[in-house]
Amino acid sequence: MKYAFFPGCTLEGAAAENLLAIKKVTEILGIELEEIPGWSCCGATHLQDTNELLGITINARNISLAEKIGLPILTVCNTCTLMLKTAKQRLDNDDQLKTTVNKALSEANLEYHGTSGITHLLWVLLKDYGLANLKEKIVRPLKNLKTACYYGCHIIRPPETLGFEDPHNPRSLELIVEALGAKVVDYPARLDCCGFHALFPAEKAVLKMSGTHCLVAKNTGADCLVTPCPLCQMQLDMYQPDREKYLCTETKIPVLHLPQLVGLALGASPKELGLNHHIVDTKALLNKIS
Amino acid sequence: MAMEIVYRVKRFDGEKSYYQEYSIPYEKDRTILWGLIKIRDEIDPTLSFRSACRSAICGSCAIRVNSNALLACKTSLDKQLALYQTNILTLEPLANFPVIRDLVVDWENKFKHMTEVKPWLIGEKDCPGGTGYYRQSPDEFLEISNPTDCILCGCCVSECTQHTNLRDEFYEPFIFTKSWRFTADSRDNSPKAHLLPVLNEGGLWKCVRCQQCITKCPKGVRPADHISRLRCSSMNYGFTDNLGTRHAQAFAEYIQKTGRLNEVTLPLKTEGIFRTLKRIPFALRLLRKGKLRPLYFPSPIQGIEGIRKIYNRLRKEEKK
Ligand code: FES
Repeated sequence: MKYAFFPGCTLEGAAAENLLAIKKVTEILGIELEEIPGWSCCGATHLQDTNELLGITINARNISLAEKIGLPILTVCNTCTLMLKTAKQRLDNDDQLKTTVNKALSEANLEYHGTSGITHLLWVLLKDYGLANLKEKIVRPLKNLKTACYYGCHIIRPPETLGFEDPHNPRSLELIVEALGAKVVDYPARLDCCGFHALFPAEKAVLKMSGTHCLVAKNTGADCLVTPCPLCQMQLDMYQPDREKYLCTETKIPVLHLPQLVGLALGASPKELGLNHHIVDTKALLNKIS
Repeated sequence: MAMEIVYRVKRFDGEKSYYQEYSIPYEKDRTILWGLIKIRDEIDPTLSFRSACRSAICGSCAIRVNSNALLACKTSLDKQLALYQTNILTLEPLANFPVIRDLVVDWENKFKHMTEVKPWLIGEKDCPGGTGYYRQSPDEFLEISNPTDCILCGCCVSECTQHTNLRDEFYEPFIFTKSWRFTADSRDNSPKAHLLPVLNEGGLWKCVRCQQCITKCPKGVRPADHISRLRCSSMNYGFTDNLGTRHAQAFAEYIQKTGRLNEVTLPLKTEGIFRTLKRIPFALRLLRKGKLRPLYFPSPIQGIEGIRKIYNRLRKEEKK
């Protein structure tokens, strides 16, 4: 099982712990990752606002680099997934656009063919690797851990672009978390938006909203939140003291990257998974599973 | 025994709201609206809801089922039961609208925002040869084709993240669509008159990109994409002195320069020095946890020259 790995910019920065966890988990599971040489930022929902064609072309370039090494792309960030899949969907359904984009790509001696698929680690675990195989590798079932599953928008919406499951009632994340032995709590905010992409122009609203998601999770009795998107993780974890200013109440709850939770069940140490790099301390949670 | 299905309906009598359950015998290949009509006809004539065309054209039957907005006449009952794996569905009025009674919502205050974007063609352009017709090329028409499909059902409003948060400071998604529909119309003489209200009053740069509007639209209209186009248009008209523009342009610059985002300098580029100073406690917090590398500047990626050439080409074409 081998993929062209598209890490996305945040894994080189504020979500570096996610990269540690991904490397560890894929190593244990025997999933081979080849980082796409020369991949660029996907534009993170902003690039197309400056120039729509540029947004598509930059991601056509990313995809064409994966096509060159003949592998399907594996992403680990919801927004990267949406940006890449949007480009692919547009190009595969519009020959005129494909010709225009390929003319631009020829400047970089590249060509988009449409031969590489795009998938996310969550989907790989569920569909390509399979729950049964995953369960076989579990050495530390997360028995006592109550978990609130938080999808993040860009892995479910819009459905005609993402296409993995119905965005009104997805199940993939819960299925993985249950396979790890953890208990999934009934979490009403599981499909809500974290607000990451409008933090600067609408800071107060975004912090209040992401803080409320954490509060709601706490109120369900969850020990932690888990998300397949590093941007959601950052939004829910990093701003904890800032949002408490607005909400006038404690909103502390650990927020784990999906690969960290998987890694714990596979027996990796918290340090190997970068759990010491969180703003909201993860010790209480680790005590529960040890 | 034949299966019963239950509609758990949120009712409102003008003063109090409560949930009432109605059981109806299951029938195959029915719509959500079929059940409502059956309840009104056979069980409770006081149950209020709107419908007219029953063909997903008039937009009057929009409601929420299990917290998701949809057209009751277009939505298959079987599919909803399968989706939620249940025989009980919760029906509520659209969110983000005042409720008049039961499932009937009040559109009155939406017209204010609608009027602000001037949803009509402004000014007259010459009609070639005095024909009295406005001419449009196929490409010009395509530009406004998607926003023209909006049937004003309100589904996009119900779960819009930022309209839920900000109310009047962030327009309903269909208002952005309407604004774009006229901003982009080649026959219009005053595109800025449609664009400026969404930029100034509508919160154009505050959209969180949650894609709820696109997901909920029963007609395939794409308000979030129209927001992107309005943003692009506003920059082309020179309205660039705002956080949103600077943020978007920062991404474009990073990709051109190194191919990668630089998280350390991003706030500075977006907000300027003064507002960034306010983020020092935040930065220190990240630093303490090893989440920030202040001296890390991404070096240009392999193939960066190619990216720059792509930029040059597309920019040139844009100018043309
Ligand atoms: S009744 Fe007209 S759209 Fe449903």
